[in-house]
Order: sequence, then C-alpha cells, then structure tokens
Amino acid sequence: MQKRNRFTILLLVSILVTGLVLVGGKKDEAAAQEAKVRLVYMTAGDVNMLALGQNVVGPEFSKKYPNISLMTIHTGPGNAGSQIIFEKLLAESESKKDVWDVDVAMVHQIFMKWAMEKDLLMPYAKDIDTWKYVASPFAKSSLGVNVEGYVMPMFHSQTALAYNPEFVKDPPQSYEDLVKWVDKNPGKFGYNGIKGGMSGVSFTVGWIYWKSGKYEKYAVTGPFEESEVASWKSAFEDLAKFNKKVTFTGGNVGTLDALNRGEIWMGPVWVDMFFTFMNEGKLNPKTKMVLPEPGMPGQPMYFVIPKKAAHPEEAKKFVEFMTSPAIQAKDIVERFNWYPGIDGSYLKGSIPQDTYAKIYGDVTPEDLSKKGRAFPLADYFNAILESYEKWVK
Amino acid sequence: MEAKNSVRREFIFPPYLLLLFPAVVFMLLMYAYPFIASFTRSLIDAEGNFSFANYAKTWELYLKDILFTFAVTVFSTAATGVMAVLLAVYLRFSQSFISKILSGLYKVPIFIPFVVVAQMMNSFLAPHGLLNIALAKFGLINIDQPLQLFNFTGLSFGFIWKMIPFSVLIIHGGFQMIDDSYIEAARTAGARLFKVITKILIPMSKSSIMVALVLVYSQIVGTFTLPYMLIGGKSPTTITVDIAHRVNYFRDFGVANTLGVFSYFLVLFTAIYYLRSSVRKMAEDKLVQE
Repeated sequence: MQKRNRFTILLLVSILVTGLVLVGGKKDEAAAQEAKVRLVYMTAGDVNMLALGQNVVGPEFSKKYPNISLMTIHTGPGNAGSQIIFEKLLAESESKKDVWDVDVAMVHQIFMKWAMEKDLLMPYAKDIDTWKYVASPFAKSSLGVNVEGYVMPMFHSQTALAYNPEFVKDPPQSYEDLVKWVDKNPGKFGYNGIKGGMSGVSFTVGWIYWKSGKYEKYAVTGPFEESEVASWKSAFEDLAKFNKKVTFTGGNVGTLDALNRGEIWMGPVWVDMFFTFMNEGKLNPKTKMVLPEPGMPGQPMYFVIPKKAAHPEEAKKFVEFMTSPAIQAKDIVERFNWYPGIDGSYLKGSIPQDTYAKIYGDVTPEDLSKKGRAFPLADYFNAILESYEKWVK
Repeated sequence: MEAKNSVRREFIFPPYLLLLFPAVVFMLLMYAYPFIASFTRSLIDAEGNFSFANYAKTWELYLKDILFTFAVTVFSTAATGVMAVLLAVYLRFSQSFISKILSGLYKVPIFIPFVVVAQMMNSFLAPHGLLNIALAKFGLINIDQPLQLFNFTGLSFGFIWKMIPFSVLIIHGGFQMIDDSYIEAARTAGARLFKVITKILIPMSKSSIMVALVLVYSQIVGTFTLPYMLIGGKSPTTITVDIAHRVNYFRDFGVANTLGVFSYFLVLFTAIYYLRSSVRKMAEDKLVQE
C-alpha cells in the first residue's frame, strides 16, 4: 500500500514539474516569436518532402533570413496529401477568419482544380523575382485549369521506361514497339497496375494517349465528353491482353526492386526515384531509361500561397528562395534528383557537368519537351482510372 | 453476490453506474457514430441524394475483390487455426530443449508490424526472392520460371505467418488450463495422441480456439498494408486496397463507405458469434456463482 502511495506522489510531482517546464518553455517561445516570424509550410508528397523542408531548406532559409523560421508540416503522399491541405484551407475559408494559419503550401496538380473552384489562393507568382525563370507550360495550366500567376513549380517529375541493357539491347522507342517486344519477351515487362502507385497510372494514361491519339483534347483543351469514354473500350481490351504477358509489381518501388533483381527487364518508373535508387546503390548502375512515343505523363509540384496567409511577404520570399537557380540546382536537382521547376538552361553553370549529363542523359531536354506529357484533365483522368477497373479484367 | 441478487429482484439504478458514463460516451462517439455514419453515407450519391448508386458501382467494379477478400480471409484463418492447434499441442506435450526455445521464439512475429511483414514478404516471396533462389539452389525449380507468389498463395502465406503466433498464444493458454489428469485418464484407457487432441484438448478449449479464430479473421479482413504492398496493382485485390484507391484517386467516399459496409458484413457473423459466446459465458458464470 505504502509503495502505491509513494508512486502516486511521484507521479503527481512529475506531472507538476512537466507542467511547469512546459509553461516556462511557452513563455520563452513567445518572447522569441515577437522578434521572429514563423512561417507555416504545409507540404504534400512523400517523406522526402518533409526531409527537404525540415532538414534542408528550412535551415538554409533561416540562415539567409534570420528573422524567419520555417515550420514544415507534412500531410502525406499522393493526392490524399494534397487533399488534407485543401480541407484545411477550405475550413479556414468557411470559418471566415481574417488570417489563416497556413502561409505557404506545396501541392499536387489536382489540388489546383479544387482550390481554384473555391477561391482559396493568392495570385502571387508574378510579383516575385524568379517568375522570369519559369518556362514550363505547367505553370500556366494544371489539368486544364488556368493557374497562371497562382503557382510556382518547384520541380517536375517525369515517368519513363527503365530497362536493363544487358537483356534489352534495342529498347522499344514507342508504345507500339513495346507491345511487340512484350509479345517476344512475355513476363519481362513489369508494372504496378493502377492501384499500386502513380508510375503504373502514368503508364496506363500514356497507353490511352497512344491508342486514342487525343492528347490535346484530353489533357489541354477539353472539353470532357462522355462519348470519349465509350470509345476507349477496345484500347482497354488491348491493355487487358497486354497485361496477360506482363508481370505485376508491388508498387513504384516494387518495379525498381524487380528490375534490380532481374525479375523484369523493363518497367515504368519515376525518373527521380530511379536516380535516388541508383545513388543509394539499390539499382544496377547500368540500368537505363527511354521515354517512348507518343510520350508518358509527368507532373510538377507547386508552391501556392493561401488567400489570407498570415505572412504573405515572408511566404513570397520563401518561394523566391526555393525557385532561385542556386537552390534549384543544389537541392532540387543534385540532392533530390528532380527536374528543376524553372527552366533548366538557367542552371547550367550551377550544376556540375556530370550531374547535368546524368539527369539529361537518357531522357534529353528535347525528349522532355516533346514527349513529357501532362496528366489528363481531372474528369478524363477519373474516367481513365475507372474504365481500367471496368474493362481490364 | 448480494448486489446481483438485488438486481434480479427489482432494478434500482445504482449511482455508481454513472461512472460508466465516460466510457459509454467514448464508445458511442468513437465507434458507434463512425459506424452509423459510414453506413448512411454509403446510401448517399455524389449529388447528395439518397440512392443505391454506390452499391451498383461497387457491385459492378468490386464484386470479385469482395469475393477474393472473403476467400483469402477464410482460407488464411482456417490454415492458421489448424497450424496453431498443432503447434500448441506440441508446446503442451513436449518438454524438450527445442520446445522451450520455440515457446519463446514463436511469439516474435506478434511484435512485428504488418508493414514490416509486408516488406519482408515482398523480398522473400519475389520471383527472384530468397525463397525462389533457395529452391533453385536445391534444384527444385528453375529460376527462369520461378514460383509466382504475389497472389492468393503469397498473401495467405503472409497472413498465416503473422497470425499463427497470436493464435498459438491464446490456444496454448487454453490447453494449459486443462488438467493433466484428463489426458492421463484418456491415455490409460488406450487413447492415442490423435484421440487426445480431438476428444479432449480441442473440445475442452473450444472457446479459446474460437476466440482466436474470430480475432484472426476480423484482423485479416481489415488489413491494408500487406495486400497493398504484395498485390496492390493486381486484379483481384482486397477490399482495403480498393477503399484506399477510391479515396486517394477519386475522393469518392460514397463507394469507399459502401466497400466498408461490405467488409462489416464479412465480419458480422464472427462478431455475432463472439458476442453470443461471451453472453453465454457470462450466464454460465452466473449459474456457477449461484
């Protein structure tokens, strides 16, 4: 009994002490905040996006602007991560608050459709110095939504077919060649379907672009028409036939793993993951890439500033910092292996020649501009994914 | 005892029942409300009207996945049950050095999270994974035509591997409660091991075996990581993967909730069994006490 009493007292004392420490800590923090601006930065994407904000650019940014600190909040991978940011901004907008919590956010393309519809964003991009470096068409239109002035692309990711040159001497240069190649090499092409990550989704979307020949309508001009969806039936039935001769992998990483273990000789991958795997020694360094005709989709990630951000000027400084050629070269390209959000030609002097040659080696800037496609407009995108489930059995 | 008797005679609301209030409110808020909400929202279409559109779409696109989930779950649960009983029997009777080591080691997978199991199975069962390479080294298969295990078989293997230890823990506990004298009496009367297992051990610990199976079954139905990482891109896949797909790509909570309702149906009968057996047990305990 006595033991229990002692334990209770100890517990109470420790709660008290913790409380005191916390209260004390809060006071210190408040004092520091008077002098400092804390920029709230929400980011969607994989955990590397958290690492980028928290460990890399956060400290670098505070070094340049000692009065601003960056608080990175990570919401999770894929569209679901962007959705959380959207829900947060929508809630703030509906609460009719004058000042919103989030100062700057990093989002996927689909976010722009949702956020522009609800008028949640500030047009800021043309106010900042680095706007002049932006050349990508993705900065003007996102899945068919006009976003010019509301976004700055931070980086661009591209999908391509990775292949093992030991077994694939003459890689297929188009989807059409790929189908013939798979006929001759059953089981040696692998992808992850549409539920195992975006590299498989991208391959599927590319398939529809190829079969329909209507990239412009589906991804750029629109409009959405139900009759188009019905016209894909045979394209998907062909994909179902194609699927019988391929290996299904367990996700984006699964495709790279299977390539590395020699289970498959070719498969669609994200270019940045490909290089990251290679740098970490998880992929045979001989593996190469090809971007087949008529192209495969890629996507940017965007910086946006909420309409009523508490610190819009500091947020603009942050975006400007992130899209400056120096940071784009050092962090976006060299460290994380993405394609830059700004025009690559501004980086030439800032990146070591061999890095430049590596990232633009297999997939050249010309390939990117000619065959780097966008994902389709949101309605077509959803229809493609759902038709896959309906017709590919 | 007294309290129980008075409850039976006339019901007076005892003030200490108020202490239950926080717990009941918690249950209602955290379990009952989401359950009812997901059920009602499955009946509301994208325009916000009452309709069965979500059910129609689920039926059209995901029926095979629902059946697949059911098949994998039933098979994995049954296989887990059989192997767990065998292992529990071994641990119950053997006093050897090996069984002592095993009784400590077998519990390890309980503490390994599903996501780690999934990654392990990913590299273990892959076409050029550990298992296929080992089999090829022994000359049992040709590595150019490896076993394809990212399917029903591999998924079940992963579930069974993860679930056996948990079931053994419960079933072995049940076996330990059975007094040696029953087993000795049976043996004296000429019963062999098989008879001892089927006529004494299993019937006498039926309730703990069933509890283990019910818990294993409902956990498998709701597991996302293992199927996602093993067979995520394939068709058929499991309900949980489909739910994630509907939410991540379409923000379609209607069909996601409908899929959820189907998974409730899959676990419903086990939940009913579990509740009925606990009520029965309570009633029996009461009889014993009186």
